[in-house]
Amino acid sequence: MNQTKQNPLKKILAIRGMGGALTAFAGLIIIYIVFGIINPTVYSGQNIMNLLRSMSKYLLIGIGQSYVLITGNIDLSIGSMVGMSAMISATMMAGGVSPFIAILVALLSCLAIGVMNGFMVGKFKLPPFIATLGTMFVARGVAYMVNGNRNTEAISSGIGKEAADGFQNFFYYGKTLGVYNTFWIAMVLFAVFFFLLSKTRTGRHIYAIGSNVEAAKLSGVNVVATTTKTYLVSAFCACVVGLILCGQANMGNMEAGNMYEMYGVAAGVIGGVSPLGGTGILLGTLAGSAVWQTLENGLNMIGAQVGIQRLVIGIIVVCAVMLDVVFRRGVVKKKK
Amino acid sequence: MVNKMNETIVLLDHISKSFPGVKALDDVHFELRSGEVMALLGENGAGKSTLMKILSGVYTRDEGTMQIFGKECGNLTPKQAQEMGVAIIHQELNMCRHLSIAENMFLGREKRKGIILSDQEMEREAKAVLDELKIDLDPKQVVGDLPVSKQQMVEIAKALSFQAKVLIMDEPTSALTSKEIDDLFRIIKDLRSKGCGIVYISHRLEELQHIVDRVTIMRDGQYITAMNFKDATMDEIIAHMVGREIKEKFPHVECKKGKKIFEVKNLNAGRMVRDINFSLYEGEIVGFAGLMGAGRTETTRAIFGIDPKDGGEIILDGNQVTIRKPEDATKAGIVLAPEDRKKDGLCTKLSIRHNIALPNLDLICDKLGVVRTKKEEEMCAEAVQNLKIKTPNVDVLAGNLSGGNQQKVVVGKWLARNSRVVIFDEPTRGIDVAAKVEIYHLMNNLKKSGIAVMFVSSEMPEVMGIADRIIVMCDGRITGELAAKGATQNEILTMATQFEKKIAAKA
Repeated sequence: MNQTKQNPLKKILAIRGMGGALTAFAGLIIIYIVFGIINPTVYSGQNIMNLLRSMSKYLLIGIGQSYVLITGNIDLSIGSMVGMSAMISATMMAGGVSPFIAILVALLSCLAIGVMNGFMVGKFKLPPFIATLGTMFVARGVAYMVNGNRNTEAISSGIGKEAADGFQNFFYYGKTLGVYNTFWIAMVLFAVFFFLLSKTRTGRHIYAIGSNVEAAKLSGVNVVATTTKTYLVSAFCACVVGLILCGQANMGNMEAGNMYEMYGVAAGVIGGVSPLGGTGILLGTLAGSAVWQTLENGLNMIGAQVGIQRLVIGIIVVCAVMLDVVFRRGVVKKKK
Repeated sequence: MVNKMNETIVLLDHISKSFPGVKALDDVHFELRSGEVMALLGENGAGKSTLMKILSGVYTRDEGTMQIFGKECGNLTPKQAQEMGVAIIHQELNMCRHLSIAENMFLGREKRKGIILSDQEMEREAKAVLDELKIDLDPKQVVGDLPVSKQQMVEIAKALSFQAKVLIMDEPTSALTSKEIDDLFRIIKDLRSKGCGIVYISHRLEELQHIVDRVTIMRDGQYITAMNFKDATMDEIIAHMVGREIKEKFPHVECKKGKKIFEVKNLNAGRMVRDINFSLYEGEIVGFAGLMGAGRTETTRAIFGIDPKDGGEIILDGNQVTIRKPEDATKAGIVLAPEDRKKDGLCTKLSIRHNIALPNLDLICDKLGVVRTKKEEEMCAEAVQNLKIKTPNVDVLAGNLSGGNQQKVVVGKWLARNSRVVIFDEPTRGIDVAAKVEIYHLMNNLKKSGIAVMFVSSEMPEVMGIADRIIVMCDGRITGELAAKGATQNEILTMATQFEKKIAAKA
């Protein structure tokens, strides 16, 4: 066996899903360079800092959605959970409740939605599109209801300026080692979830379910538990993003996180996560969310209107998937 | 680990199981002893797979008792069954295409250090199992990249890696090449000598003689009989399976060979279809024999316009026809009943009616594109009657029919058109003896009515029994042609294994 002599580069390339991730990273570099040439401010340190911070939200959403996508399912309720998390935590803090308790309650509410999703999809075999469409409305409904169909007051009005600053700095405005905390939060969670997906039994089972749920079941994989775990991961990530948005705004906005579930799909898919399940790695999602944010940021910096931004991003997503499909078909043809 | 021989290790008694609308098993008895290979026989729908799925924990029984190694068992999960030493190789491939061989083998019982997967250890062990079975594959290879026969071998390796003492194989050879079948039989004999009990389900009765000790026969969800294989004749076994005697396994009708209907000249399409030349005449069935992967399916696909052609002519009734897509072929009067009926031949979630109507909508719609129900009714009624499709009505979902009846629907939807050439690709794969005979009758009827029939099959006895002329392919080329009458398996096999090197040596 010549495994030991293998070129390390080849070894990395042999990791499944690495191809999609590397393609996305290559795209990222090109996009970044092009925008920078048009407007050099894109290269400025402050812009990079901002970019890393705003990218973090999409990365977290993308991680959650990727977990679900790899099992071949989808979670449409993510955006609403973001809103719910922001509204619950902000309402409580604006009412003077300690941030720790507010965070805990927000987290438990999101996880409850995640458990519901997992059971509906894993246990009762509802089509994930429908099941999570339901919880999408439910969670958004809760987000509206917690403060009586109004956005919240400033959280500082309840827990005081000092505590509010602490909360806001922790999730959004503060820096550690010169980089915004938001990015560090995303990186720590990225590391944890990357490890879970690639190195643990649960991770292996997630891929197996997405690849062939019947085979997984017959091999003794607990499909209900594993499916539920993926929805818990996406609920957890959504909750964290909700807290970030709350910290950013110093208040809860009922529409917070609107459409985020789709940003998560985009981040994953650009990075090579197949919406049909079975393939993709979180490194791809990382690249995908960076591509997404760099596009948004770059288009903004060169003065493109919101309409144009959306349009370009839409085209990029479709092209990324199309490339993937064409590439794979090409491979299949060659084999025959 | 040598167990005592000839001890009862599995005993199922009074097993019943119902699915909505069907009683799949009715008071079934089954016994397996250590150190024996037991063939579980019966037609499709007899309940063999259901019974074995109960034994392996996939289904739960409604009634009855189950003893494994003398231990009374309640309802098992697949994992519990595995832990008791029962492993099953399912009829449909059950692999995760995106995962590697090692990952598939250890799915559900991964080896870990702490919470981290020990991939290297699993790969090492997988390699050891593969080596023991003399399967030359790298455990890191992704299963989806392997050919079907290799996937099947991996599945077998997976079952064996459990150290199973009861091994159930449901149609394990359907996708294997003859060399791999030999390997499999060697493995089975080896396991038998170690005292394992093996349950072997197969429709290929002719292969039983190589390995089987006893047979259990089921019919319509009921236990019929069990006996020593040596004490039974093949005809007896078939009679038990079918419930009546089948007079002719391969009914053959003689027709006068008429004019040339169809000709393929210098057809090329990729590596698996090279310089194909042949003609089909009125009143004959031309069999295409060869090993798996000889390029026969690819040839049918190229003719039918599914895969692009690199060159060549197709001549129908003296006129050259251009076929770029399947629609061109059906318009010209060439139809194909493809190899994998569930994947390529049928919309399993649609009714028989809609399946039959699908390729004929141009015939039954009015000018505005509205389906004329009455015409559709007539067309379906005719197909059901002519092909003897067994169904209460035409609104039954195609996926709910038995394999033989599905095949009839596939054929039926094409015969509603006035076809000139019908190509059958492995039409009898995985269907039972009685249904096979009906398919043969169907082909004979087509032949009698002057339609050219091209019949691709990997089962030599049926090619020799049904076809009038046999064309043999190997490695994407035609390597021989002979009259079916008087042909021997040896002759065909010699032609089917003429790989390129030998040809070069001869030239």
